[in-house]
Amino acid sequence: MSSFKSRFGKFIFLVPSVMFVLALIIYPMIYGMGLSFFNTNLINRWDFKGFLNYKNVFNNDYFMSSIIITLKYTIIVVAGHFVVGMLFALLLNKNIKNRAIFRSILMIPWLFPEIVFGVLWKWILNPTYGIFNFMLINMKILSEPTTWLGSVEHAFNALCLISIWKGFPFMMLMLLAGLQSVPTDLYEAGELDGCNRWDSLRYITIPSIMPVITVSLILDTVSWFRQYDLVSILTAGGPNNSTMLISRFIYDKAFQSFDYGEASAMAVIVFIICCVIGFIYRKMTTVNSE
Amino acid sequence: MKRPNNKISKYNRHNATYIILIVASVIMLFPIFWMLSTSFKNMTDIFKMPPSFLPKPFDMSAYHKIWINYPFVNYFANSLIIVFASTILSIILSCLGGYGASRFHFLGKGSFLTFLLIVQMFPPIMMLIPFYVMLTNYGIINTHLGVILPYVSFAIPFCTWMMMGYFDTIPKSIDEAAYIDGCSSLKTFLRVVLPISVPGMAATGIYTFLRGWNEYMFALTLVSSEKMKTVPVGIAQLTSENRTLWNDMMAASAVAGIPIIIIFLFFQKYLISNLAAGAIKQ
Repeated sequence: MSSFKSRFGKFIFLVPSVMFVLALIIYPMIYGMGLSFFNTNLINRWDFKGFLNYKNVFNNDYFMSSIIITLKYTIIVVAGHFVVGMLFALLLNKNIKNRAIFRSILMIPWLFPEIVFGVLWKWILNPTYGIFNFMLINMKILSEPTTWLGSVEHAFNALCLISIWKGFPFMMLMLLAGLQSVPTDLYEAGELDGCNRWDSLRYITIPSIMPVITVSLILDTVSWFRQYDLVSILTAGGPNNSTMLISRFIYDKAFQSFDYGEASAMAVIVFIICCVIGFIYRKMTTVNSE
Repeated sequence: MKRPNNKISKYNRHNATYIILIVASVIMLFPIFWMLSTSFKNMTDIFKMPPSFLPKPFDMSAYHKIWINYPFVNYFANSLIIVFASTILSIILSCLGGYGASRFHFLGKGSFLTFLLIVQMFPPIMMLIPFYVMLTNYGIINTHLGVILPYVSFAIPFCTWMMMGYFDTIPKSIDEAAYIDGCSSLKTFLRVVLPISVPGMAATGIYTFLRGWNEYMFALTLVSSEKMKTVPVGIAQLTSENRTLWNDMMAASAVAGIPIIIIFLFFQKYLISNLAAGAIKQ
């Protein structure tokens, strides 16, 4: 009786979420993969092309350069998040007054929509009327207004800096949670053994929070690799494709050129790259912990 | 002899910490200050050179105009409907799924959980095209439901993991005691386990809420009629006009921040502890 009950009970819990996952994650995913083998306008033209889309994608120089720009962007941004996030996590882990207030202020960039901060930074960096140029000129750092987001030489760096500013609080939060779980007697033992502050960071803190570091890096890398919102608002991929991140590139391919088949093939490739990134991180950290 | 020295250096060290934190806070807050300042300026003040830090005259008209000149009433209503509905649906589904995965063994459990992990690697753009086609075919494009469903599908994998982790921390003996008292598994779940899982549900809810409130790409693509657009789409499309009305845009942005600030102030303790715990579990 009770085994029947629990067997029946199981289904009440699992059926809704499994059904949902099947209908709204697995089915669209397979559908998307299927699309990548067709040349289609989604209405009446459905020509099966086999792997032709993939071949075209790999021969597409714009796609390849977009992948390289995105990789470079992701490495810079995630490294920036890690350095800044770690710094503030360590500072906030100290026993200081008003810690909760500082933590809340430092989380502001992460909480607001990317769109809001996208338009806001666009306004701050506005070449003619922006406050940023004005302040730099006032401080004699610049002699004349600079076009930050509209020039090939600055746009990519500006995008990276804004992305670091926007995303570091996530890393900070995760690392802070990790730091707070490190037992204090470890540090006391370290102090007895003559560790200075740098030693205890290197030999106690970092190894203790390694699992948190790995997970945060994976989540952060994957989520910034597919960045779309900020770049669309700030530069729309320009000038001269210098900030053309892959999500924006695929989006344009699908919804401006209406080349859904090739766009789907590109999306599948991006998915594979994301999986590889996750796999590499896991591999690296299991080797480290051995 | 050593003691006073130590105290002084500790004091200095914390001073350095405060200085860094205060400088950082200024860098975080300045854009917000500039957003508010711009939103209270009039058009001549905005394009004045040199720019003034504080608005003079102090002009509230942008906050009036966003409701009159633009359909921001609709945008906010749509965003709230979509986000609340997707949050509630996500909480229900991830509690059920998370409890099932935490308490029962079933065929393919391992692969189901691994799948939920891999799904988080999906680039949203990969799901966007199929969703666009499917929703068009089923005739629910341009409706609230057409945005709610994709939002729930983003939230489910992470939230199910998070809830499963939360239920794992609740001892099974509690469930067993309820079974012995004659409760069915559903009753045990609803009456016994769920009431003590509120912190986990709060974290799940906030995560889904923030994600939905801030989402742009799907809302932009899956909705074309002006009446059904969401707040981020509404704000973004103000830039595309010839002469950007920065004060209106900043006013809309400031108002868009209000729900986030409310949610954050009330629920931040749940979010911070559970988000990290849920993620670390993976």
